[in-house]
Amino acid sequence: MVTYDDGSPRTAPASFLGRCVFSTHHKTIGLQYLWLALASVLVGMILSALLRMQTSWPDTAIPFLSGLQHTPERYAAIRLLHGSLMVFFVLTAAPQLGFGNFLLPLQIGAPEMAFPKLNLVSFWMTVGSLGGMTVSFFYPAETGVNVWLGSAALFSLSALLSALNFTATTIDLRAEGMTLPRLPVTVWAWFLNAILSMLIFSVLLAGCASLLCDRMLGSQIFSFSSFLATQPLNLVRQGSLPILWQRLFWYFAQAEVYVAMLPCFGMVTHLVATFSRKPVWKERLVVLALCGVGLVGFCVWGYHMFATGMNPYAPLVFSVLASSLGVPAAFLLASWLGTLWDARLQLTCAMLFSIGFISLFIAGGLSGIFLARHDLRSAAVSEDFVTGHFHLVMGVAATFAILAALFFWFPKMFGARLNEALGKVHFWATFAGVYFIFMPMHWLGLLTQSHLLPDASRANLASAGASIRTLVTVATICTVAAQLLFIVNFARALLRRRGTEENNPWRATTLEWSVPSPAPLVNFAGVSPVIYRGAYEFRSGETSDFAPQHLAPELLSQHSS
Amino acid sequence: MPTTSATQDLELIIEKKPSNGGGGDLPPVDRDGGGDDGKRPSPSKPSPKRYYTGMALGIVSILMFFMALASAFLVRRGSGDWVPIHIPALIWINTAVLLISSATLEMARQRLAKGELEAYKNLWLTTTVLGVFFLAGQVGAWRLLVAQGIYLASNPASSFFYIFTGAHALHLVGGVAALLYVAKRNFEKAQITRTVAAEVTSHYWHFMDALWLFLLALLYLGK
Repeated sequence: MVTYDDGSPRTAPASFLGRCVFSTHHKTIGLQYLWLALASVLVGMILSALLRMQTSWPDTAIPFLSGLQHTPERYAAIRLLHGSLMVFFVLTAAPQLGFGNFLLPLQIGAPEMAFPKLNLVSFWMTVGSLGGMTVSFFYPAETGVNVWLGSAALFSLSALLSALNFTATTIDLRAEGMTLPRLPVTVWAWFLNAILSMLIFSVLLAGCASLLCDRMLGSQIFSFSSFLATQPLNLVRQGSLPILWQRLFWYFAQAEVYVAMLPCFGMVTHLVATFSRKPVWKERLVVLALCGVGLVGFCVWGYHMFATGMNPYAPLVFSVLASSLGVPAAFLLASWLGTLWDARLQLTCAMLFSIGFISLFIAGGLSGIFLARHDLRSAAVSEDFVTGHFHLVMGVAATFAILAALFFWFPKMFGARLNEALGKVHFWATFAGVYFIFMPMHWLGLLTQSHLLPDASRANLASAGASIRTLVTVATICTVAAQLLFIVNFARALLRRRGTEENNPWRATTLEWSVPSPAPLVNFAGVSPVIYRGAYEFRSGETSDFAPQHLAPELLSQHSS
Repeated sequence: MPTTSATQDLELIIEKKPSNGGGGDLPPVDRDGGGDDGKRPSPSKPSPKRYYTGMALGIVSILMFFMALASAFLVRRGSGDWVPIHIPALIWINTAVLLISSATLEMARQRLAKGELEAYKNLWLTTTVLGVFFLAGQVGAWRLLVAQGIYLASNPASSFFYIFTGAHALHLVGGVAALLYVAKRNFEKAQITRTVAAEVTSHYWHFMDALWLFLLALLYLGK
């Protein structure tokens, strides 16, 4: 047996530094990204609860908030911190960098990523940028914005390097027989997303660097004076510019939407097929739709960036997001429903969260239709509507996809299973919770229309608005508290693992399930696997209802689960 | 060693596409007779193709980066406060130096392909020195501008001039570092062969050369 001689050590380095800090193993780095995301999501969630409390009960002394002066600028800064933690380190990091790093080489039968050292470098750049963004919050606004921009530039650079690594790995390191049509949809999603990230993050990097240069060295790339002219006078005089924080967030979030959603589409498609015990319905079309999401998303966003000279002060038309995602999203939706149709569903937690994702995606997508109409948007809805829409479709939906993936791949990552019963309670609590938060938020957004109504009705509406606001806040606190169930489940599974988990507990077809759980340090025991068939061969045979990708045809007849 | 061009690279990628629809129990296309356990040991070294792919992707990203800056340049030029600046003549000499360095690098690569190591090394070092000359020349051009009282913060045009030249110079410093790395590296222990390293580096260098011509045209025509 010939083993790989590509510089990766065959035994685990003994020291802590070698194992955890300077490890170039894709699985270690993937898990590190996931831990990073877990920490960020916890802080981000608590911040969101604080923000809600501040909105509903502005006079109550809240420990953390009261220390920071109650100015609109501070409030905007907390929102930016909540947004950047969630968008960069949860929604971008977990589905693509976390699961992608862990699973991509395993699913294509590669020994490692194409450039393991580059992978290590980009991980630590991500950590640095997380640190920078957190620190930026504690500085006064002027310095804070600079630190935040520097961190965002660092994140863009690290995302670029990761994307390069993912793309090269998928192109060049596929195992024998792993042809493009045989790639699992997850790999397609990570691959396409990496290509998209390369294009998007290089523009963001240029934007960050230029803006930093403007702010620190006084260059005149962007015309700040024309931005100031459009801002309310009292804000300009005070020198506090909450709008600038907000603009910065949208400038990034617009692009990040696609980057966060693509891998989630891939993972959900994969899980829905596995737990429906059916092939992905119209798999080719799904891959094309994924390409479509990337292409259309980039074209719309890219057009905007280039038409304004990537000016972060230019107003962003968030609504185009909804309309541009519409067509490919409809294809994806059709495929999910087609796969679910008439299937023997296995309602595991992973499947529940996947179906939850689909539900949230439909709900959020429907409100997106309203936002896509420019006339409706400016006339009828306020910021609350937008917030509700994009949290449903992007934030919460993506989080459901991440949770689904975590329940599914947990055995491969840690060699234990998350508790299904506890997971189901957690799922229903969270599922109900997010609808209680974000659906009323849509109604709040519609209340701005009240000025068209007679006085009496307006008074009624105002009081209704106040009680809806309180409902949202209470729901937020309850939902955040419900996440304790997940933490207990997670910690319990980690503490109780015995390392006796079977290789393929879900009876899935892809390559990562051919190796032991948890996946050992060296992939496939150093022997490159050979792939014989597509990724979703579920069919009823005599002994088993699925055909793993790596099993030779002559062995398939003896194969039983 | 045969030289691998970008087009050959592309063909190799396309070659992997199968003729069948991805389903079915067809064995992989180029499986040689089948091993005893249905698995075949992989070659001891992963394919060097990934270096070419990585560089091609890197070039695309860098191109996107400069395209974004170029779009900012074109949009900003249209806003009222644009004051044109005069590009110092030294820039043209620098450009000539950079073009010559690309030529010497190509010659070095041909010598390496023929196995004439000594000639290769001399030409390679010449390229490196020319690269350093170019960088020094760019710094000289900045000093000429500063002497005229034109700084980064003076006006939008000067901002863009310094940013374009600065960002390009920064990328070229990376190129010089890569040239030195290839010259000094002991390739007997490395995963990457000398030929692959030299080719990948030369792809980057030629790209930097072309990028500079583009930026110069942009600055000259758009001033």
